[in-house]
Order: sequence, then structure tokens, then C-alpha cells
Amino acid sequence: MSKIEKALNRARGERRSRGSAEPPAEDREPLPGTALIPEPRGELVRLEDISRMNQNELPLLDAEDLSRRGIIHPELVEDPAVQAFRDLRTKIILQGQGVNGVILVSAISKGSGSSFVAQNLAAAFAFDPGNTALVVDCNFRNPSLHRLLDDPSAPGLTDYLQDPDIDLSTIIRPVGIARYRVITAGKRREIPAEYFTSYTMRRLIESVRWRYQERFIILDGPSMADLADIRVLSELSDYVVLVGRYGRVTGAQIEKCSKEIGGNKLLGVVFNDEPRIPRVDWRDLWLRRWRIRPAGTSG
Amino acid sequence: MQIHPEQIARMLIKEAFDSRRIVVGVFIFVSVAVLVMGLLWPKYYAASTNILAEDKNIIQPLMQGAAVATDVSDPIKNARELIYGRRIMDRILEYGGWLEKNPSPADQESLVDGIKKRTAVSLVGKNLIKIEYRDTDPERAFNVTRKFAELFIQEGVASRAAETRAAYDFIDKQVREYEAKLAQSEQEMRQTRGSNLDARPVSEVELSARLAALNGRIESTTMELREAEIKRASLERQVSGEADVTAGITREGEIRARIGELQTKLDTLRLSYLDTHPDVIQLKLQIQDLTKALEAERRRPSKERGSSGEMSQSAMNSPIYQQLRRELSQTQVTVDALKARIAESQRLLREEAQRGKSVRSGDARLADLARDNQINREIYQDLLRRRERARVSMSLDNDRQGLAYTIQDPPTLPQAPKGPRFWHFVLGGLVLGILVPFGLLYARMHIDPRIRVGDTITKVHNVPVLATIPHLWTPDEIKQLSAELPVLKLALVATVAVCAIVSVLRLAQVL
Repeated sequence: MSKIEKALNRARGERRSRGSAEPPAEDREPLPGTALIPEPRGELVRLEDISRMNQNELPLLDAEDLSRRGIIHPELVEDPAVQAFRDLRTKIILQGQGVNGVILVSAISKGSGSSFVAQNLAAAFAFDPGNTALVVDCNFRNPSLHRLLDDPSAPGLTDYLQDPDIDLSTIIRPVGIARYRVITAGKRREIPAEYFTSYTMRRLIESVRWRYQERFIILDGPSMADLADIRVLSELSDYVVLVGRYGRVTGAQIEKCSKEIGGNKLLGVVFNDEPRIPRVDWRDLWLRRWRIRPAGTSG
Repeated sequence: MQIHPEQIARMLIKEAFDSRRIVVGVFIFVSVAVLVMGLLWPKYYAASTNILAEDKNIIQPLMQGAAVATDVSDPIKNARELIYGRRIMDRILEYGGWLEKNPSPADQESLVDGIKKRTAVSLVGKNLIKIEYRDTDPERAFNVTRKFAELFIQEGVASRAAETRAAYDFIDKQVREYEAKLAQSEQEMRQTRGSNLDARPVSEVELSARLAALNGRIESTTMELREAEIKRASLERQVSGEADVTAGITREGEIRARIGELQTKLDTLRLSYLDTHPDVIQLKLQIQDLTKALEAERRRPSKERGSSGEMSQSAMNSPIYQQLRRELSQTQVTVDALKARIAESQRLLREEAQRGKSVRSGDARLADLARDNQINREIYQDLLRRRERARVSMSLDNDRQGLAYTIQDPPTLPQAPKGPRFWHFVLGGLVLGILVPFGLLYARMHIDPRIRVGDTITKVHNVPVLATIPHLWTPDEIKQLSAELPVLKLALVATVAVCAIVSVLRLAQVL
């Protein structure tokens, strides 16, 4: 971190503590390529920001669509998975003492479902009208966020890292969930790990962190197998959440990973995908199935 | 970490649901496999018979000690040896009709092995031997079992008779051997005794007593001899001394006596005559002469007196001398007699000692023989007794009065096959079909080091668990599940139905 940045950070912190008195800044988007980080804004401004952000939203996806994409939504209150994510969100907020942060979500072993956890954790943050969430797909080997987009080939993180002149707003994309933004991995997949260490990456994180005050940035990281990437990403983030899948990870793996991360940043382990027998009203389902099928709609 | 059983059950159900296709597959596979096994399971008919090995009959207490009844302490072992023996097996092979196809010896061997496997000999009660035979053909099972019992009894009796016969023969042979030994030793004894006749068995004590008596006699006789000799010496001394004294004394005395005589005569004459009478003078002169002679005699040394010439007649005629002489000669006789006696006693002693020596050597040989003879005689008598007992035992067994085998329960024609019934397989298959997949899941839970309980991470590995996220069912998954579950259900129902149908068919004896 350069001296200038440190100074700026300090100034930012002071300003933040001063809170609402600060007038809103004229421009939210940072100028692409500028080394300077845009001025942060006061809290009062944020709600307005969010409402403005709401204007940028795509037409919101309905519950059915979300469910199909494997993303929780507030209507599924009864679902234990939703409750678990809410609980997780609350724990993280309590841990951060109300300050938004950069959370790295990483799988202990491949296939632990860290992307699922990252996306749904972000969704849980976005449940709250006062919060916004941004998911950044840092898992270049096995990206998944682009599936949320209608146009999966849209530029993403790798494009930005390759060419920092791209407008940041073009890679921060709404997906049809309120207060929920994503940065996909992008088209260029063969990005070496060194890109994460680049200044551009750091600037990106900083700029998106201060873009909205109540924004939780969730880095959907690679699995712990890619230690080099994880080290860099955990350096960039405030907290690390490890994801271990039910019946897939051993205690030794968990201990090893927690040692790698270190005690300060590691929030804990999310024990993912515990088997559950779904509570389904089969009769209703069948009735719907038989009634709806002849009409031609599939689902 | 301790996991509550209820938690385990819940986990098992969840896991089973998670891998429901495998669970259903295993269930179908296991139950169908067991069903097929039940269909293919050979039907075995078993016939059994109980044979009582009696050893408590009337004859035994009567013959207690005189005869030894064949031991039945391990009847089952005997029975097994007999029944699995080649003799009975060969006859069973023949009887059961296995030899009709003329099997090769190797095939016969495997047939016999098969029969042995299907035959069970066990001890039911204390002396109740149960023979059970299984066969696919109920009639053959019955027949073979009956034949087994028959042959067993027959062979058992024969073998026992042979056993007692062998025992008798052995004892008899021993008896003969000892008889010969005894005869030989007696012959030897007779010879030894004949070779030294005087070698009667004399006891050591007797011999030594006799020797001591002889020794004592010799000693006392020697003492007597010594006494006699001393006496003789003393008498001899006396006899010679007395002669001297007598000789001296006799001359003086003679003189004195004459003097006295003459004096008396003188005195008498003086009474009637004067001194001048010639007779008196004569007498006086005579007395003077005699007195002179007496004085001369007195003057002469005593030595001279004794040896002065032959013993005077007067001395010889002295009564004391005579007596001494007599005694001397008597003592001499005694000494001679004693000497002769001692010599005799010593000869006897020598003889006795000699005889003792010879007796001792002959005696040792004889004693040896006598001892051998004694021992042989004892063994012989014992063997004789034993032989008699063996003879009685043999006749007991020959008359089937000893241990007897009787058929307690004759075999019956088996009506229903033995072993697991078909419905056992059907039910067992269904139960196993449920147990096996759950058991496998349980085993996997225990063996697999991978974590299935979130608390373990916190408690064992000291890493906080932020959340345990249950599976989020997407609508697609639900739809898939709703399509899948009926299929699985149908598969389950179909399996159970197949089991039921097969059971019914089996009951109706179509299969």
C-alpha cells in the first residue's frame, strides 16, 4: 500500500466518522484509469444512492426464477437454507461491528459449493433494503457468476485487469435482484495469479468498496488448492469464510486451511449442503404438474 | 466425538434419502438375490433315530468286579468312529442305491464325503445317540437312517465282542507265559535243592546259636581241663612229697614203735623179773640199740633219708599215699576225657562252620529262586483271576448282556423338508434388503474420515462453524425428485410384489 493510499484511507475514515454532515459527491463513478480513489460519501446519502441504484436495476426476477438459479429470496422464509444464510449474514455483520467489508469465500476442497455460498450470502445481505451486495468472481478456473447474466460473454474482472481503462460501471452488472451486483470473471480465463497482486486489482477492490458505503463485497475465490491466489485475495479482503461440504472434507483439511489463512481474518467454516429431505406438498405439485403440463408451460 | 443415537438415526435417514437410488437398488438386488437363493435352495428331508446305549442292565451289578462291561464313557466318539467308518459307509452306499451307476473309486469317495456331511451323530441325553441323515429324497433319508441304526447296532455289538475277545486272548496268552515261567523256576529250585541236600534252608540265627553252644561247651570243657590239670599237678606233687615224709617218718616211727614195744615188754618183764634177768638185759640192750639207731636216723639229713633208697615198703603201704595215688590216677583219667571232649567239640565246631558256609551259598541261590517263584506265582494267580473275568465279560458280550444298544426312537418318514423354509428366504431377503444399505451407510459414516457433523469442526478441530447450510432444493430438483420418487416407489412395490407372487406360486407348488 502506497503512502498516498494510506493517507487517503485515513482521511476517508475520518470523514466517515463525521457521517451525515458531509455533502454528497457529484459523481459516483470513479474515473477509469485514475489513480485516485473517489471520495466516499456520508451515510445519509446512501439511501439515496440505493434508490438511484434501484433505478439501474434490471427487471427483477421472480421467486421462481431465483429458485431455479439456486439463489435464496425472502419469500422462502420457511426454507431452512434461507434461515441459515440469514443467520450467517447476521453473524458476519456482528463480527464486522456494522462496518462493511470485503469477504473472501473459498472452498476447502473443490466442489464444496463456495460459489453457491458466496452468491447466497450476497443475496442475504441484499435482503436488507439498507444494504447492497457485490459478488466478484475471482475463481477464474471455474467461474460461475456469468450464469446469472443474460449475456454471459459480457466483460468482467479479467477484462478489467487486462485493460484498466474499461469503465468500472460496465463490469459491475445487475442481475435482476434488488441491491445485488456482480462482477463476472470475464472472457479471459488464462489470467495468471500475479494479476491479483497488481495495483489495478487493489484499486478495483478499494473503489468498489467505497462506491456504496453499505456494500458488502464478496469475493468468490478459488478453492484452497490454489494457495497462491488465496494468499493474495485474503490479503485484499477483510474476512475469509471457508466452505466445506458435508461428507466431502476431512478434519485435517479444515485444520490445514485454517492454519493457512491465519486466525485473524478467518471468520469460520460454512458447513455446506447438509442433506435434507425437502418438505414438499406433493399433492399440490402433482396437481400443478398435471394441470399445467397440457397448457404447454414447463414448470 | 459422541454422537447421539437419535442424531445418528436422523443422519442415516437423510443420507439414505440423499443416495436413494443406491439404497433402492441395493434393496432390490439383495431381496431378489435372496429370493432366488431361496428358490434354488435344495430341499432337504431329514430323518433321525435315537439309539440308547444302555449300560445299566441287570447283569452288571450282579457281575460287579467279576466282569468289566464295555465302557460307554464316550459313546459319541465310539459311535462316530463306527458310523463314519468305511465299513458302514460302504454298505450304506450300496443300500442307498448310489452304486447303481458304478461310480469310480474317486466318485465313491466324494459320495461318501457327501453322506458324511449330511449325517450328524450327536449325543442327546446321557446315553442317547442321535443319528440324523439329510437327503433330498425323503424316502431315501428314512431308509438310510434306518439302515444306519441297524448297522450301527450290529457293528457296535460285533466290535465290542471282538474287543472283549481280544482282551481275553491277550490275558490268556499272558497266563500261559507265566505258567511256563513258574514251571521253569520250580524245576530250577528242585535241582538246586537236590545238588546240596544238607542245604536245608537253615536260618542264620539257628546256626549261630548252635555255633555259640559249641563254643561255650569248648570253653567250659577247657576250664574243666585246666582245673583237672592243676589238680593232677598238685596230686603229683603231694604224692612225691608224701613218700619222702613217709619214708623218714616210717624209719623213726618204726624205731620208736620198736622201742615202745620193747619198753612195754621190758616193763612187763620187770614186773616179774629182776633187772638182771637176761630177758630184761636183752631187752635193755635191744632198746639201747634201737635208741642209737633212732639217734642215727635223726642225725642223718632228711635228703638222704628220701633218696636213700627205694621207697620203703612201709611208705608204699601208707594209706594216705595210697589214696593220693588213687586220686592222681582218677584225675589223670578226667584230664584225658576232657581233652578228648574238647577235640570233639572243636571238630564239631569246624564242621558246623563249614556247613554254615555251604548252606549260605546254596541258600542265597534258593532264596533267589524262591522269590522269583513267589512273584511269578502272585502274577500268575492275578492273571488267572483276570482271565476268568475276561471270560465272563466275553460271554456277557456274546450273549448281549453287557452294554446294549436299543433303538429308542425309530426313524420316521420325513414329511416336510428341513432347513430354512421358502418364506424365511422371502422375509429374510426383504429385511436384509433394508438392513444392508443402511448398514453400509452406517459403516461409511463410521469409517469415512470426512466430516458429516458440523459440530465436529468446532469441537474437535477448533475451527468455528459459522453456519450449517442445508441443501437448497431448487424447483428443478424438486421436479426431478417428484418424477424420480414414484419410479423408486414403483420399483420397491414391484420387488415386494414379485416376492409375494413367487411365494404364492411356491405355496401352490408351481415353482
